[in-house]
Amino acid sequence: MQISCDDIALSLAGAERPVFTALSFTLKGPGFHALFGPSGVGKTTLARLLIGHVRPDAGRVSIDDGCLRRLYAYNLERLPGWSSVGRHLEKITPAQHRARCAELAAEFGIEPVLGQRFARLSLGQKNRVNLIRYLVQDFDLLIMDESLANVDERTREQIIVKIKALFPDRFFLYISHNVIEVARFCRQVLVLRGAHRRPQAVTVPGLDGRGGATVSPEMEKAMLAIMNAV
Amino acid sequence: MLARRTYQFLIVYAAGLALLLGLKYLAGLSDYVIPGPLLVWQTFRDVYGRYAADTLNTLSVAVLGQIVSICLATAIGILGRQTTWFGNFVKVAAYNVQAYPIVALAPIIFILLGDGFITRLVIAAMICYFPLLLVVLGVMSEPVVEIEHFYRITGRMRWQLEVKIRAFENLHKLTTVVAGSATLAMAGTIVAEFIAANAGIGYSIRIALYQSDLGKILVALFHIGISLSVYQALLEWAGARVQRRWEAAGGDVAS
Repeated sequence: MQISCDDIALSLAGAERPVFTALSFTLKGPGFHALFGPSGVGKTTLARLLIGHVRPDAGRVSIDDGCLRRLYAYNLERLPGWSSVGRHLEKITPAQHRARCAELAAEFGIEPVLGQRFARLSLGQKNRVNLIRYLVQDFDLLIMDESLANVDERTREQIIVKIKALFPDRFFLYISHNVIEVARFCRQVLVLRGAHRRPQAVTVPGLDGRGGATVSPEMEKAMLAIMNAV
Repeated sequence: MLARRTYQFLIVYAAGLALLLGLKYLAGLSDYVIPGPLLVWQTFRDVYGRYAADTLNTLSVAVLGQIVSICLATAIGILGRQTTWFGNFVKVAAYNVQAYPIVALAPIIFILLGDGFITRLVIAAMICYFPLLLVVLGVMSEPVVEIEHFYRITGRMRWQLEVKIRAFENLHKLTTVVAGSATLAMAGTIVAEFIAANAGIGYSIRIALYQSDLGKILVALFHIGISLSVYQALLEWAGARVQRRWEAAGGDVAS
């Protein structure tokens, strides 16, 4: 599994400055990777580029055959209001993933709210429900655009650990602003630095779940590398 | 809803009547021009039953015309929601055609179809169709991205589901425009009856106009206002009920 961008240039309609001028990077292998960078640097635009919603003005996006089924989840999504969360999940979950759906609902702590309408849930619950419905689809690459925003830190950790354990052969690209989280759990952290910087993106290795809950020197080093790259 | 609509109409009607009577006494106009309160009351008693039947006749045509235009607007709105050339063509055509005063076409329909029910129905439907179409087109062409995204990216989106999502998200707007278009349907039917009919309250108003009998016209306006208030209140009630039921029970279109 490999995703790479080669000399990508992109300007969005109506924008004064280009989002990308010469963006190049390669992310290899399955696992939990991160896309990190300050607000407005183009993380969501890059995600949309990777799933084919946006076409670059120049350059090439290459995604190998292992990542053909690509999904993109973001934190502002809503479920239709005409049925309960549980009923919705039931309808959109393929038969072969029903057990996984129940397992995720329990692990992500949304079992008690399955009978409720989406609009009644808290922001954190909404994001967890939304993430579950993507995780029960067939996919090779899942881009999670702030999918765990508004979820408390402890639950977020549990969710990431669970995802890493359940889907070791899939490619995840996790967009987050939490440097500790990405340094600790992600295999590679792709740091976007803005159109005026060269190189525009830098890849920093993360701890990929090693190192425990405490801040070890190794983790400090990874965090420092990420922050220096920004 | 019913009480609110009715007393709102009664206030407006009483204010209009008071204005007319004020004008009559201020300008010293004769009963022939503006009849006095007693004469209006007498006329009311004389023609009340007949005008009530005429108003019901008009209202039934208006309701039918509105149903026809709702069905048409829904069908065209669903077709026009697409971002294909056909969808764009429908949208542009609808926006351009609605800019023309449709009521001006009424004489052509009269010439082609003559007096009677069909002419009244067609004119009523035409007059309330375009405002309905514009709202349905607007609602149906506006994607609800934060809901539709999941269905699109997972390949589950079907046109029925797309229509359902957009209708559900704009249910209040749709029920409001349906209730509001009742007035247009009634106006369309009355216009048709002025021009090309042998029945209905518009036809009765035309006869009263030839007789210069303002009393009868005032009674006719009273009937129109009351019946329209009741009809609109019924539509609002039905819309609120549909909204509540849909939210409570939910539909079952491949979601």
